[in-house]
Amino acid sequence: MRVEDIKAYIESGILELYVLGDVSHEEKLEVEAMAAKHPAIKAELEEIEKSLQSYADANAVEPAENLRDKILNSLVTNLADDRIFNTKEEEKPEAGVVEMSNPRQVTVYKYAFAACFVLLIVSVAALINAYRQIDQSDTLIASLQSQNQRIANTVSFKDHELEILHDASFRMVKLQGTKKSPSSSLMVAFSPAKKKVMIDMADANMPANDKDHQYQLWALVGGKPVSLGVFDADTTSKDMKEMESIASADAFAVTLEKRGGSPTPTMDEMMVLGKF
Amino acid sequence: MYSASLFGVISRIVIDTATAEDVLQDTFVKIWNSFGSYSAEKGRLFTWMVNIARNLSIDKLRSKDFKNQNKNQELENNVTFIDEQRNTVYKPELLGIKDLVESLKPEHKSILDLVYFKGYTHVEAADELGVPLGTIKTRLRMAIVQLRKYFN
Repeated sequence: MRVEDIKAYIESGILELYVLGDVSHEEKLEVEAMAAKHPAIKAELEEIEKSLQSYADANAVEPAENLRDKILNSLVTNLADDRIFNTKEEEKPEAGVVEMSNPRQVTVYKYAFAACFVLLIVSVAALINAYRQIDQSDTLIASLQSQNQRIANTVSFKDHELEILHDASFRMVKLQGTKKSPSSSLMVAFSPAKKKVMIDMADANMPANDKDHQYQLWALVGGKPVSLGVFDADTTSKDMKEMESIASADAFAVTLEKRGGSPTPTMDEMMVLGKF
Repeated sequence: MYSASLFGVISRIVIDTATAEDVLQDTFVKIWNSFGSYSAEKGRLFTWMVNIARNLSIDKLRSKDFKNQNKNQELENNVTFIDEQRNTVYKPELLGIKDLVESLKPEHKSILDLVYFKGYTHVEAADELGVPLGTIKTRLRMAIVQLRKYFN
């Protein structure tokens, strides 16, 4: 800005109005900016202020003596009033000043967030672990259940076997090996009263049959063979097997037949035979 | 130390002495409480204080209490009351130094006093005196220039 411009600015009268407090907010900021930039304007302002102060001094009116004490007392009262300090704090933020957020608070939030995050990770890990354990327990329970079922089955089966063995109406017949298979043998339990025929695989000594063939139990009734059903024999089978019922039998025989059984026994393939 | 000068300004805006004393008290309380917002870079302390005093005085004049009080004035007294309110010629006890008054041209002095001592804005002063705004500004400046010459 040229010297003439500064002079024109001074002569515009804005500085006087500024000192008298008779300017808008924008004008006020403008004057303050100009004064900060140009020492001549600042000096001019100073002069205006000084002369107006002198004018006020020249027109001073001494207030009454007791007023001084009154005012001092009110200041002391105000000093003791907490509200003053509150008012002061409220007036603190000036236009254009962005108040910094409290860094301490931010740190606290940071730590809180980190703690929450760690807690979350730990929780998720614990949850996964717990889920795995539950899974293992489930598997264990399932296996225990099936085992329990097997044991229950076995027990009921053994009960059944014991029932048969204790049943007086059952008669045990041991079928002896024939010429074809001299070492073979098979226990047959027969109850004419209950029309039940059981074979005891635990006490059997039969060669294992192949896929195409099965053993067939026959009852000889009055010299005629009656089929009592087919069964398989292998080294692992140890249970008692109930065959078809019949009221009376003179003898029992087992032949090796094609799978599913034959209507009449193949006499050549007779394995064991026993008279009742 | 500033109390007499401030009281001089207040007394000229608020004519009633008791009210002026109240305003002076309010002024010191406000100066005391908002001292944190005063900045020495922006001007002299007295300028800041006198602006507070003037604003509080004008607030008082415009306040409901004060207006109601005025409404209660007797009708016969109104003429003198209005004269008192609007006058720019001081009461004898408020008169400043004689040669100072003489050194100011009347048209300059009236504007300066309206704005400085009566709390008028320069726009209001232009209305009151029926003078263009530009003239008001010029006269105001000239008045202060004369003051400067006188005090230096």
